[in-house]
Amino acid sequence: MPPTAEPVRDGAGEAAIETRGLTKRFGERVAVDAVDLYVPRGSAFGFLGPNGAGKTTLIRTLLGLTTASAGTMRLLGLPVPERRAEALQRVGAIVEEPRFHQHLSGRENLRVVAAVRGPEVRARIEPALARVGLSARADDRVAKYSMGMRQRLGVARCLLADPQLLILDEPTNGLDPGGIQEFREMIRAMVEHEGRTVFVSSHLLDEVEKTCDAAAIVDRGKIVTQGPVAELASGGAAGELIIGVDDPDRALQLLEASGLVASVRRSDEGLRAVLAQDAGEAGPATARLNAALVSAGIGVMRLEPARQSLEQRFLEITSRLEAAAEDEEVPA
Amino acid sequence: MSATVATQMIGADFLKLRKRRGTIAWSLLLAIAPLLIYFVVSAAQHSSNPVEHPPAGGVNGYQDALRIVAVFFAPIAAILIGTDAGAGDASAGVFRDLVVTGRSRLALFATRVPAAIGLTWLVATLAYVLVVIGTLAFAGGGSNPSASTFVNGYLFTLLSTGVICAVAVGLSSLTASRPGALVALIAWQLIASPILTNISSLGSARDLVLREAIDHFSPIGLGDGHGGGRVTMAGGTGLVVIVVWLAVFLALGAWRTRTMDA
Repeated sequence: MPPTAEPVRDGAGEAAIETRGLTKRFGERVAVDAVDLYVPRGSAFGFLGPNGAGKTTLIRTLLGLTTASAGTMRLLGLPVPERRAEALQRVGAIVEEPRFHQHLSGRENLRVVAAVRGPEVRARIEPALARVGLSARADDRVAKYSMGMRQRLGVARCLLADPQLLILDEPTNGLDPGGIQEFREMIRAMVEHEGRTVFVSSHLLDEVEKTCDAAAIVDRGKIVTQGPVAELASGGAAGELIIGVDDPDRALQLLEASGLVASVRRSDEGLRAVLAQDAGEAGPATARLNAALVSAGIGVMRLEPARQSLEQRFLEITSRLEAAAEDEEVPA
Repeated sequence: MSATVATQMIGADFLKLRKRRGTIAWSLLLAIAPLLIYFVVSAAQHSSNPVEHPPAGGVNGYQDALRIVAVFFAPIAAILIGTDAGAGDASAGVFRDLVVTGRSRLALFATRVPAAIGLTWLVATLAYVLVVIGTLAFAGGGSNPSASTFVNGYLFTLLSTGVICAVAVGLSSLTASRPGALVALIAWQLIASPILTNISSLGSARDLVLREAIDHFSPIGLGDGHGGGRVTMAGGTGLVVIVVWLAVFLALGAWRTRTMDA
């Protein structure tokens, strides 16, 4: 199924997050614009957009930190704000950077949150500290923690809820490469081994591509497209081939004359050809193209579908939107 | 919210407060240091000139010491603790993390009040114990206050500090800013209130000054001690004024906590 601005439903029960027409305005400014979002359970879902796109505002609205201007929301199948308290019992969240009482130790900070969550939660403090590797430093004051340690303590605080859903807002901000890798592995383990749903907002495409199963791209408060990460990435490159040959000049002439390709050009990777609309299905058309090259005595070293990175796709989408916005501003 | 959860939350708020070394140190200093200075200086004066200067303890000494603790300095300590309790979560940036637990915001506000009062009363009790010790130790040949006066003085100290502390929690929750609430309350307590109560043309409007309403319950004649400016008020008026101050500031603090963007 191709990626789309409409939410893709997996049919496997209620979503972890579902919004309909969710809107948040600050005066005249629309920070979240009629967002329809569907985050399937048991997945890592990326919420990708540039800074100021409305990612944090949407998260804050979902969590009841600020009120929605319009639309409906469901968390773990429960309508919010109507049943917000019930829903949030199984939700852990880090909004923006994780903040703590600096004068308390890591363990004491968790005790504060455990007291608020309920009597049964205190027993989860030590396992949560162990899970994020902070047991040895748990009695140090948080003021002495590095950014990475605070991020991990933030995750430990989330785990106190034994969450079905974790909402992490830019979780790798300030982490060194080792910390980022560790964080990615933790997120994947939570999804794959513990069956939790992780919703990660980020402006880092690479992070979403490497961590998430599905993603939504948001720009200027609107969801531009959403779907599985692999499909999002390939969305703009359908029918495009990368061809490595021993004689590019002759291959270029041959392909232009073959009628199999709509366009062909040189690139760093070799030739990039877009299959013609009337060339038929991609598989057989690629085989015919290969046969034509080989028959002409041209050695083919490489022939594969072009894959865009999510970054290329993201830039393509957002630059298209920027151009459209500029066109709208120009008077006719 | 169950009693168990409420108790745990109050305990957590108490933990946050008692671990603030700066606030605790300043509170103890304010509550105790002036008292110690008073007893030491008065005892020295009495020993050098017993005719001119009465004993540092006894009935006279007790009145002065109670005034120092219950009227002036322990309420300032109560303001320090109360403003910290009211704005601590917001200023540390953890209020939103408590909100996303799903716990009611009103509960988050409500548990700050007993935690702050509890810590304030610990500090006030320590200071009052020193009042009693000083009163008895430096009585010289003079008479001592009765046991009931000591008890009433203690209850007055708890009332004075507890009410101011609760008002401080409400105001700092309302402003979500500790420095602002701190300056406003200290200025009100130490500067505005004495000035207002000494403007006789204000008449019975002076009954609304919280400090005067609290002083109404003092077991000793406080009015004689600050320029004869004490406002006389009807028996129940003081209590009503205290209740209104508490109700207004706690309601404002609760409203702001419930409605603010976290």
